[in-house]
Amino acid sequence: MLLTGEFADREATVTALRALRAKGFDPEAIDLYSPEPVELEPGLLDRPSRMSLAAVAGGVTACLLAVAFVYYTQTSYPLVTGGMPIFSLWATGVIFYEMTMLGAIAATFLLFLWESGLLGRRAFPAPEALDPGRIYLRVRCEPHQLVTAGECLFEAGVVRVKKDKLP
Amino acid sequence: MAAALEIPHDRLRQDLWRPLRGAGAWYIVAVVLVGLLVGWGLFAWGYQIRTGIGVVGKRRPVMWSFYITNFVFWIGISHAGTLISAILRLTHARWRTPVTRAAEAITVFALMIGAMFPLIHLGRVEVFYWLVPLPNERGLWPNFRSPLVWDMTAIFTYLTGSVIYLYLPLIPDLAQLRNHAAGWRRRLYKLLSLGWTGSDREWQALERAMKLMAGMILAVAVSVHTVVAWDFAMALAPTWHSTIFGPYFVAGAIFSGIAALLLVMAIARRALRLQAYLQPLHFDNLAKLLLLMSLLWVYFTVSENLTVWYGNEPAEMAVLGERLRGRYAPLFWVMVVCNFAIPFVLLGIRRLRSIGTATLSAAAVLIGMWLERFLIIVPTLARPRLPAAWGTYSPSWVEISITVATFATMAFLYLIFCKLFPIVAVWEYKHASDR
Amino acid sequence: MEHRWGMVIDLDRCTGCEACVAACHAENNLPLSDPASAAMGRAVHWIRVDRYWEGEFPHVRVKYVPVLCQQCDDAPCEPVCPVYATYQNKEGLNAQVYNRCVGTRYCANNCPYSVRFFNWFDPQWPDPLPLQHNPDVSIRSGGVMEKCTFCVQRIQRAKRDAREEDRPVADGDAQPACVQSCPAEAMIFGDLNDPESKVSRLASSGRATRLLEDLGTKPKVFYLQRAR
Repeated sequence: MLLTGEFADREATVTALRALRAKGFDPEAIDLYSPEPVELEPGLLDRPSRMSLAAVAGGVTACLLAVAFVYYTQTSYPLVTGGMPIFSLWATGVIFYEMTMLGAIAATFLLFLWESGLLGRRAFPAPEALDPGRIYLRVRCEPHQLVTAGECLFEAGVVRVKKDKLP
Repeated sequence: MAAALEIPHDRLRQDLWRPLRGAGAWYIVAVVLVGLLVGWGLFAWGYQIRTGIGVVGKRRPVMWSFYITNFVFWIGISHAGTLISAILRLTHARWRTPVTRAAEAITVFALMIGAMFPLIHLGRVEVFYWLVPLPNERGLWPNFRSPLVWDMTAIFTYLTGSVIYLYLPLIPDLAQLRNHAAGWRRRLYKLLSLGWTGSDREWQALERAMKLMAGMILAVAVSVHTVVAWDFAMALAPTWHSTIFGPYFVAGAIFSGIAALLLVMAIARRALRLQAYLQPLHFDNLAKLLLLMSLLWVYFTVSENLTVWYGNEPAEMAVLGERLRGRYAPLFWVMVVCNFAIPFVLLGIRRLRSIGTATLSAAAVLIGMWLERFLIIVPTLARPRLPAAWGTYSPSWVEISITVATFATMAFLYLIFCKLFPIVAVWEYKHASDR
Repeated sequence: MEHRWGMVIDLDRCTGCEACVAACHAENNLPLSDPASAAMGRAVHWIRVDRYWEGEFPHVRVKYVPVLCQQCDDAPCEPVCPVYATYQNKEGLNAQVYNRCVGTRYCANNCPYSVRFFNWFDPQWPDPLPLQHNPDVSIRSGGVMEKCTFCVQRIQRAKRDAREEDRPVADGDAQPACVQSCPAEAMIFGDLNDPESKVSRLASSGRATRLLEDLGTKPKVFYLQRAR
């Protein structure tokens, strides 16, 4: 079952969230929908993220690939220019740096697409017809948890509640 | 941020989405005018390709002039977005929100324009793809030791990063637009917004990505203009072979970037009626930044020229003489007035600082910075080490046409952008003003 | 042992007659220019004679310096080319590959001797001049950089003749057009790797200097002049 509550302001939403978390609802089962990001205290609705790690990993991978590629191209057809060595970290260091940054940027963007759910898995569909002035809180729960979840919402001051079946 | 900016959603959307609807008479006139200039520039380029690169004014020894000037100038302008957007995001400066998207758009368009110039400048543009590492039957690759190949790598990275950096905060606005649009616009926004619903997962991922991107794009931006500066600094030409060129060019880029942003903001404020959003506070802050960068520019310029003069090396002194007393002296002093005197007076004296004077100073700085790039390139090449090879330079109509056309191209791209996307990031603005 | 081609120019013999310039034009199919483009600075002279005047009348001294590509060992023009259109070949020559040049003109900026020339347009020769062209030398198209090659076509011919006759290349077999045409015999060309060649002996004489030596380009053209 999907329970969707419509809230008029941030404080009410946070109260409802705290209540839901206190009652034992998992963050994975809760979703917030809003036209602007809602400021939450850490620990309330944290989503695990590997973005920083991915950025570093992407950067290092791209750097190694760049070094390998430049080494291969410069040694496969060695041409002496200006007395410089055939493969020189100094002379091509800029290429490695830029490729590192490109790898980090690409990895960050890809992980953004993945972790946001825009490309790939989506937890469950968003409610329709979102009014931009409101914040929507959606809880996925078993039928026997409906009452508990509903109580949390009503005590926080929800404006409207809707009940849907899971698609 | 003043408390008066507690603007409700529908008022915000009304104000910031208004430019996206319809096309007024002024808009059409503007588009046609700049379109004609762009067309003329394209014709000039086509003429150059057909007749030969010799239609330009370049000659031995001045083999680089307007096109490389424009290249460095536009890549410099592209530092607008990075400074304002990335640094101010990282420092959580609240006044940045109405300004970030305009700045990021300047970056992307300036990069695209700047990246065209190495092509326009080539003697054999039909084989430009040899500069790109593509597999080929001869087993030949580009020379990665060349600063020009470093340029291409850096600009490619920066362009990719800037497009992503512009696109990411655009997604939530695109989703809102999608909900209220119809026809082809709805299809466009639907495609670009990737199905954004506004869930907290999406927001958290977006904010995390923005934070990481801000740091990374800053690192790339510093490297990009350093690498462009190294096109000159790696060469043995007198006064080019200077260790200070990297930081000098980065400072100059940020300087011209802020000036471009100020100018664009002033025009947008008037044309799009954004007086409530682009307030005197924003112009005041940007003007102070412009003044700061002007002083930094003076510091670097004095350092450059004083060390050359004091060192008294004959080859370098010949170039300095050309800049300070010779053929290019008028341009040099115009540059000093535009880059230092005008901003210092108009922005340094608090009573004189206003949106109008800030715009005037920004325009002056743009002229001054273009001249600065020109004066770095041409006098040095006109005075090579062997005096028998000394020469002069004067531009041809082809170079002037293409230069003017690039400014028109920038205006053209910006006009299109303002019709398709809101120039102020609605969600960011609301978010910052709510706090 | 590979050859290492070098040149010696005796400035005390040079009279500034510019026969070398004319010979180079004839030998290497140099593009023509007209007064307008020459005034603009677009004339192409792979070897040029620089004149330096010293002193006031009547105690004027003039020095003639023929300047051509110095075929530097550490050539600054080579690493800056993005497409490897110029590199150092095994015989120490700074090779310019016309077909590979895309025309960025960075190499010309980095040459401290200003010996690189650019073809701004496709070259035109009014009839009957095309009949005079040297078939051993390719015609360069517009958009391509060119410079003195030490008449590599004559070097190739000398090496080919020596190979056919099964003998080593003798000193004086390969003579660039400028060296061949100098009436004052001020120019000598040969193999620097051969210690007996005229070039090697003169290059190690007390009168040998090089242009802009302190830049570290290691040029292979030696100028002989009386030590002051």
